[in-house]
Order: sequence, then C-alpha cells, then structure tokens
Amino acid sequence: MTDTAQKYLALALRIVLGGVFLYAGGLKIADPAAFAGSVAAYKLLPTFGNYLVAATLPWVEVLCGLLLVTGYRVRAGATLILLMNLVFAVALSSAIVRGLDIDCGCFRQGGPKTSPWIALLRDLAFIAGTVVLLWQDTCRAKPPDA
Amino acid sequence: MKLPRTIIIEMAVIVVFASAIGLIWNRQMLSESWTGKVNRTVPTATPTTERLPLPLGVMQVKELFDRGEGYFLDARDSATFEKGRIRGARSLPLGEFEARLPEFLKQVPRTMPLVIYCNGYGCHDSMDLGKKLIRAGYWEVFIFEGGYPEWKEAGYPVEGTQP
Repeated sequence: MTDTAQKYLALALRIVLGGVFLYAGGLKIADPAAFAGSVAAYKLLPTFGNYLVAATLPWVEVLCGLLLVTGYRVRAGATLILLMNLVFAVALSSAIVRGLDIDCGCFRQGGPKTSPWIALLRDLAFIAGTVVLLWQDTCRAKPPDA
Repeated sequence: MKLPRTIIIEMAVIVVFASAIGLIWNRQMLSESWTGKVNRTVPTATPTTERLPLPLGVMQVKELFDRGEGYFLDARDSATFEKGRIRGARSLPLGEFEARLPEFLKQVPRTMPLVIYCNGYGCHDSMDLGKKLIRAGYWEVFIFEGGYPEWKEAGYPVEGTQP
C-alpha cells in the first residue's frame, strides 16, 4: 500500500472509531442510571460495581474517542479502545453462554433491544479496525529502512 | 506487540483523568447507590437535571419485601397482573398512568418508597413509569429490572390466577 493510501486509511479509521466511542460514551453520560441498569443486567458485578462502571466507563470512552478524532496520543487512545472492546466482547460472550436475554446497553439506553450476538459481531469489527489502526501507526513510526 | 513504557503511562493518565471526571460528575448517584438511600431533601428550586429511578437487584428487592418496606408497583397491563404478580403488589399499568394518577396520589404518600417492576430486563415500562412518578413528586423510586420473571424464578412469593 502506498504511503498516501495508508495515511488516509489511518485517518478514516481514527475518525470512525473515535466517532463511535464519542457517540457511545455521550449517550451513556446523558443517562448514567439507565446505563447502570444495563450493566446490572449482565449480572457480572456487585450492585455498587455496576454504578461505579456506569459513572466512569463512559468518560473513558469519550476521552479516548476525542483523542482518536483529534489525532493526539493516538496509540494510547487506540490501545485503550482495543482493551475496552476486548472486555465488552468477553462480557457479551458470557451473556450469550449464560443465555441472558438482555439489551447490550452499548449505545442508547432503553428503546429497542440489540441482541448480544449483533453487539458481539459489531464489537469484533471494532477490534479489527483498532488492530489495523495500531499496526499502521507502528509501521509508520519505524524508519523506512528498519 | 510490546507496549512502550510511555504508552502505558499515557493510558494510565487517560483512565485516571476520565474516571475522576466521571466520579465527580456522578457523585450523587454513587453516594445514593452506596447508601441505598435516595436523598430525601426536597429541592427548593426546580431541579436542573431530571432525577432518575435507581435500579435494584433481586436480593435488595427481597430485603425490602421481607422488611415490609416499599410499595410494590406492577407496570404491566391489568390482565397480566391478574394472572401473576409479586405478592402484595398493586397494579399501575404504564398505559393508564395519566388516568389513574390522581387516585394514586390520594392513596400513596409521596414519601413512600416505590419498587416498580415489569416483565424483566427487556421491558422498559417500569423505568418509564418510574420517571413519570418522580415527575409526579415521588422521592424514592426504585426499579426492579429483573421483574416478575426473575422474582418467580428465584422462588419468591407470588400470587394471582395463574402465577
């Protein structure tokens, strides 16, 4: 791939992934109690743990999204997004394995349900995108003859 | 891929900074959930942000039930309510809220803790009913998100024609 194409691919991935996380985090910040309910539905954490996650996670999402969109500290932001997506994938898989009929709680809280299967597929796509972004970034950071 | 030290430090700074904002921003919700109590102080001015019902787990709901605390409210339609409900629960279907509110206000004091449920995690009627009741002036509004299915599955007391 040419340098220019790589540059545009990285730019597109940054904007899309960053935008998704800004949007997802923003919706949760607007309704933290409902998000706590969505987290509780996974039955993975004690009650207060659900609230703690609901209070903090959306802000990490928004900050990471902002870093990706602005292009500042991209590697740290993208690595955190990758880690979050991996945690989400584990939580969604556990919901599927336990047969929980719940809403993923990924974006808008309440309203029509998004099944864990759809959410997991979407999550895997984000993981792939983040890996490509990090890989591009690592390649470009190396000197040409390395 | 080995992460350079600087990236790890940057990630830690991002997480700490964002979490700190989140903790400060949501301090009221966190303290309410920690103590399990909703702030009873009646606001002197119109609140700038809408208060939201607090979700409770099945264990906490059972504790309230055993202590005889809380007014259990079923948000599902009347026919479903008649078939099976949490023992002692009263019916207030979301669809009939406006029509039945005046009578409800006369019967149930605004200081009474309300525990609202419907058909489990996929059902949002209890949350919507809870928001409406907060707007109507109720101060302690809890949502039991597991609802009737989780309660029944746990083997807790139910009643009705076909519970």
